[in-house]
Amino acid sequence: MLWYHWLATLSAVICLSSCIIHTFKVIRAGKPKDYAKPSGDVSASVRYSFTGAMHPAKKESAYMHLPTYIGGLLYHMGTFLSLFLLILLSLGLYPSGILTYILVAVFSVTAVSGLAILLKRISSSQLRALSNPDDYLSNILVSLFQLATVALLLSQDFVAVYYVSASLLLLYIPLGKLKHLVYFFAARYHLGIFFGSRNVWPSKQS
Amino acid sequence: MEIITIEKKKKGLEVLSNKEDGKLQTHMNACVHCGLCANSCVYYNAMPEARFIPATKVELVSSIYRRYQTFSGKFFPSLVGARSLDDEAANEMVDLLFGACTLCGRCVTHCSIGVDISYVVKKGREMLSAMDMIPETLQSTIDAALESGNNMSIPKEEFVETLEWLEEDLQFEVNDDEAKIHLDEEGKDILYTLNPREPKFFPLSISAMAKVFHAAKESWTLSTKMYDITNYAYYSGNYKEAAVITQRLYDEVERLGAKSCVLAECGHGSRAFRWEGPNYLKKTYPFDVFTSVELLASYIREGRLKVDPAKITQKVSLHDPCNLARSGGIWKEQRYILNACVSDFVEMTPHGNDNICCGGGGGQLAMSEYNDRRMAIGKIKADQIKASGAEIIATPCHNCVDQLTQLNVTYKLGIKIMTLGEIVADAIVLENEESN
Ligand code: SF4
Ligand code: SF4
Repeated sequence: MLWYHWLATLSAVICLSSCIIHTFKVIRAGKPKDYAKPSGDVSASVRYSFTGAMHPAKKESAYMHLPTYIGGLLYHMGTFLSLFLLILLSLGLYPSGILTYILVAVFSVTAVSGLAILLKRISSSQLRALSNPDDYLSNILVSLFQLATVALLLSQDFVAVYYVSASLLLLYIPLGKLKHLVYFFAARYHLGIFFGSRNVWPSKQS
Repeated sequence: MEIITIEKKKKGLEVLSNKEDGKLQTHMNACVHCGLCANSCVYYNAMPEARFIPATKVELVSSIYRRYQTFSGKFFPSLVGARSLDDEAANEMVDLLFGACTLCGRCVTHCSIGVDISYVVKKGREMLSAMDMIPETLQSTIDAALESGNNMSIPKEEFVETLEWLEEDLQFEVNDDEAKIHLDEEGKDILYTLNPREPKFFPLSISAMAKVFHAAKESWTLSTKMYDITNYAYYSGNYKEAAVITQRLYDEVERLGAKSCVLAECGHGSRAFRWEGPNYLKKTYPFDVFTSVELLASYIREGRLKVDPAKITQKVSLHDPCNLARSGGIWKEQRYILNACVSDFVEMTPHGNDNICCGGGGGQLAMSEYNDRRMAIGKIKADQIKASGAEIIATPCHNCVDQLTQLNVTYKLGIKIMTLGEIVADAIVLENEESN
């Protein structure tokens, strides 16, 4: 193993254990006790919170902002896929042939989606007002990692750059807003409980 | 600008310090600042400024949470936008969390992540309450309720007198000298509550429900001691005061031995008593609690009331109170009632769980310093009403009635605003009418 392999491994351990701690803390804290008699099906509502309620037709944040929504979706898919690829590459499993070029195309699109979202944040005065350095840095680190993945897939010369960018990203995930990786799921869960006990969800409205 | 002392600051921060609250941790950490909630909020849509984006309101609270409760906020505050709780932050919180949010919850279902924005705003209000920074106008409404037993400080004699002449009116209207408005009677099936606006300004909505109870042959009573369903401490974030108000109604149901408590047409009051109240008191109610909307629908469904839709021929639309529909799960019942009671019912767009707030919620009607904003955001509702072409707007909430009445004047809507009880009462076919 070379120094950048060690760096990435250490970063992955730190990242993973921090995320586990965040998850453990939020699970251990649990949900507040609700003394009100529920009038709906809480389990069905929690399921709905992760499924039907996430449907783009149900969310103004999706259907009123389709380009951003699609860009965000691609960007997130690229992030998960690139992290998955990191595991495979670290295990010595390299893609070959046409698959390499497909991956290059995919990550190019997802990285550009990320950069477009960054550009939107920079160019909109209202989004700038809402943003802090973490918002920019998180986007830059994720986009950079996806670009580094593209570079590595095209040439082994970028192997050090790739592992360094992966390490930076992994080290940063537990610090800033990227930890919504954990809190997204917790938020959907709590919303499901809230709306389920009051019979608001699953939505039966047309 | 109000200066906050170290003691106040400590009390405010305590609200955010509960490590055992997974919901708090979650919603304080979940916003990604995408800004996509902006267009779901009446404030932003009426006044498209960054400060009115729901996420800005979340950020006011969660940035302080980060500063004191997270590793990165403690060690790299500038990087993660963690903010100290100082005079400026606290005053900004008052302006935006009290003065620019009706707690309608519309942004919550539309948020790309699922941040419970109104929960976060309420946490912020709880902090301000702990710091003694509740707007005086709102606090005076709560004080009135705490001191006199109802938020309009109506003396008991005046209340009883009003009910006496309403009873005479009822007997005349239903042509039955035995028709009664029952007061303080023990062992009834239902203890009915009121919004103090009813005896003060809208007594006809009390007569309407009395007529409904009479026609349905209900076993019911009002209390002259504690009838107020409102609980403005729910809005202020002072949950100790909210608990005192809740406990009083709880005690009254127990004292009179009523089987159930029926909540008058009041969105926040219904929410505060039915959903939040048990948590203020830390106990599950031993009696049933339901809204008058559910009760009215059940009377019609079970045939206890006969209604004739031909009696109301004007075009009627419905405004769903946020606390009843989006946060209370009651949206079918009011539609069932209107479809049965009026001949021309039209929906607004959007409606039901996705309905647009009228602008009167969140305690806005009590905080006169924000009147201009309240009327500005209400324009969206006014436009929605105009587009529906309705002549009557029905709404099961006296707060909404009040706001809609003001919108009616300001935006020259030329509509009539009615509660569901009033609609049902107008559509009732009484037994003696049938036999005629
Ligand atoms: S949509 Fe949700 S996650 Fe995005 S800025 Fe608004 S509150 Fe935050
Ligand atoms: S709860 Fe309603 S008023 Fe408050 S920020 Fe959300 S949409 Fe706006």
